[in-house]
Amino acid sequence: MRGITKSFAGNSVLAGVSLRAAAGEVHALVGENGAGKSTLMKVLAGVHRPEGGEILIEGRPVHFTSPADALAHGVAMIYQELSLAPHLTVAENIFLGREPLRFRPLGVVAKRELNERAGRLLEDYGFRIDPRAVVGRLSAAARQLVEIARATAEARRVVVMDEPTSSLTAHEAEDLFRLIRDLKGRGLAVVYISHRLEELGEVADRLTVLRDGREVYEGAWGELSQGEIIRHMAGRELKDIFPPRAAQRGAALLRVEGLTRKGKFEDVTFEARAGEVVGLAGLAGAGRTELVEAVFGAQPFDGGAVYLNGAKFNAPDPARAVGRGLGLLTEDRKRTGLCPDQTLARNLTLANVGALVKRWVLSRGREREAAREYVERLRVRPPDPERVAGRLSGGNQQKVLLGRWLFAGSRVFLLDEPTRGVDVAARAEIYRAVNRLAEGGVAVVMVSSDLPELLGMADRILVMRRGRLVAELDAKRTTQEEVLTYATLEEEFEIRNDE
Amino acid sequence: MSDWLKRFLPFASLVVLCVLIAAAEPKFLSAGNLAGVARQTAVITIIAMGMTVVMISGGIDLSVGSEMALAGVAGALLMAAGAPPWVGVLGALAAGAACGLANGAAVAALRIPPFIVTLGAMGIYRGVALLATDGKAVVGLPQSFGWLAEGEVLGFVPVPLVFVVLVALLTHFLLSGTRAGRYCYAVGSNVEAARYAGVRVSRYQIMFYVFLGALAGLAGAIESARLVTGQPTAGEGYELRVIAAVVIGGGSLSGGQGSVLGTVVGALIMGVLSNGANLLGISSFTQQIVIGAVIVLAVTFDEFQRRRLETLS
Ligand SMILES: Nc1ncnc2c1ncn2[C@@H]1O[C@H](COP(=O)(O)OP(=O)(O)OP(=O)(O)O)[C@@H](O)[C@H]1O
Ligand SMILES: [Mg+2]
Repeated sequence: MRGITKSFAGNSVLAGVSLRAAAGEVHALVGENGAGKSTLMKVLAGVHRPEGGEILIEGRPVHFTSPADALAHGVAMIYQELSLAPHLTVAENIFLGREPLRFRPLGVVAKRELNERAGRLLEDYGFRIDPRAVVGRLSAAARQLVEIARATAEARRVVVMDEPTSSLTAHEAEDLFRLIRDLKGRGLAVVYISHRLEELGEVADRLTVLRDGREVYEGAWGELSQGEIIRHMAGRELKDIFPPRAAQRGAALLRVEGLTRKGKFEDVTFEARAGEVVGLAGLAGAGRTELVEAVFGAQPFDGGAVYLNGAKFNAPDPARAVGRGLGLLTEDRKRTGLCPDQTLARNLTLANVGALVKRWVLSRGREREAAREYVERLRVRPPDPERVAGRLSGGNQQKVLLGRWLFAGSRVFLLDEPTRGVDVAARAEIYRAVNRLAEGGVAVVMVSSDLPELLGMADRILVMRRGRLVAELDAKRTTQEEVLTYATLEEEFEIRNDE
Repeated sequence: MSDWLKRFLPFASLVVLCVLIAAAEPKFLSAGNLAGVARQTAVITIIAMGMTVVMISGGIDLSVGSEMALAGVAGALLMAAGAPPWVGVLGALAAGAACGLANGAAVAALRIPPFIVTLGAMGIYRGVALLATDGKAVVGLPQSFGWLAEGEVLGFVPVPLVFVVLVALLTHFLLSGTRAGRYCYAVGSNVEAARYAGVRVSRYQIMFYVFLGALAGLAGAIESARLVTGQPTAGEGYELRVIAAVVIGGGSLSGGQGSVLGTVVGALIMGVLSNGANLLGISSFTQQIVIGAVIVLAVTFDEFQRRRLETLS
């Protein structure tokens, strides 16, 4: 790609960006939220048409008019926002548009062959997913893996992966890295976008850093230290990703006792005190999301009880949970977070519209003011409260959703993967916001698959495995290895332990 | 750019339409005819205000024509039994609201798609109206009731027009100046997100259907005042015109979008279209074809815009 320019509604997003991805190489693309990474790659994948510049594939200039067009040239992309058809099965999604047919003229899909081929593909990749499962029922992680399988099955020259690990745990990410090395070995060019610099080290050969729609660095991976990369991304020095916190531990604001939901989680007991950040670690499918959603009243549970401020409160629905001062930043911002065609300001104030209303009348002035305050505090880019939320970059959408609960003034924060898809600098903002919350006497429960984040932010780390709490660790003394060991212990071992 | 086009297009169409009709038939611009357009459009516009709210919240109501007939009949029966006109009007409002409550409850509590619920309700309410009147018009209404449709305020403003303005202002306030309005857009944009943000989705959905039902009731009262009888067959096919008004005005069949001003313009386009057709001697059968075509055009345009937006984001 050479000198690509692109703007939306007059705002320049890409100002002459070039990128060379060589066959058999993994090219890391990094930059802050809104730097234009996704946009650049969508140009390559035929989603957006560039205003200037050219795309060359094996030296020949190409003009893509649609994603199908790009695919015909061997370019496939895994989008940041998942794009599977929820009502179809895994196999149907993987082969969508390329189904194996019987009785060709009639277009009858060969179901069995479809499932078998999809099954073989998933097995090859080491993904344990049933090809017959309906995608809408899968976890975010499994859907991500299906998306990866689909794109890589189609690609012949270039695969673009836009934050593919954002909903994967360390374990599944390993499977992905193995797959990427395999793709490399087959001579494909891989462009890999991620905010997790640690994981880029696993696979990257070259690096391009984007800032405000310009490339500010291009070179072999390893030439720059992490600190230098971050400086290039942010355009300034960044110290203390995990700033210190001076919080007083207070009374138990949230206590969960013997909470059980058959097949999801069992007999979970823990508490979170005022001023405390409790981390919840575990593999995908360990039941962490189901657990916090049950506490919030968004998903059912069968037994046990939740206490808020010492009083029993089993939330029957989110509305009442919000009324009692609970806030949940959900794991899946597209499905349960954002109202995409509403403005940033409306999204941000949604959980506390009441604060804008005085004698039945809603004050737009106050709405704008509130939005502006949190946009500033969380450094949402661009800082325009009237911007349609669906058009913000992924990381900025996440900041708006965190802002929603800050504005709601919740007393107990349940954060489910709060920094998914958020750049390093913005992550630091979010951590600072969480610290301020804790210092203000709020209890925070933080589900995260990013272990450095849990170690850096939490006071205590609870480890969940197959729906059970199996360990409680002091975040200051434990290590990633220890947390992982508890999260992945084999069944056998558990049985022996029980005896 | 495309947002701007979407807002502007209905206005432009209305102006072009008026100019074309006025050129073909100068009588169109006479004060008498314009007042006539206002009267004829009033009933559709009032219902369309409620439909705007329901459609923004992601719902739809196909039973509005039947609701209107049932409400009109209910009010007429009250008055035929000796009740004063204001009781008749309140009765119509209450009957409409009750229909809306039933629709809303079925949609929100039983989680049946609104299209199916209200398609069934369309038959049920019409059937009830026909049963209650034995299929005949309810007569013997007080003469003073006719004021609701034929009266004038300040000597020249038709009473139905006054109601249209009041209802439009109320709906606009509801949508842009209240909590319910914010929730309405949020629910239509992403129900699950609204639920997770603590919005009592069912309660508000029911409220929106009740609001629409009550307005259909008001429209029913105005319609029976115009005919000075309670007609169980009133409002047949109105759902099509009402939904057309909303969609032409920028409302979306998939929720999250729409505005009062847009719907008013959409309803005026429908009204001017049929008035112009009458003036030019085009049969009502042909008009139906035109209305249907306009709806398909408007929805196509909406979809086209949506797809462009999607490739952008
Ligand atoms: N469809 C659109 N309409 C208007 N602006 C857009 C659109 N898509 C993206 N933008 C803007 O372009 C800029 C770059 O967005 P992009 O999604 O490429 O960022 P990114 O680098 O991928 O960020 P992130 O790390 O948060 O995913 C942002 O300011 C965003 O608001
Ligand atoms: Mg992106």
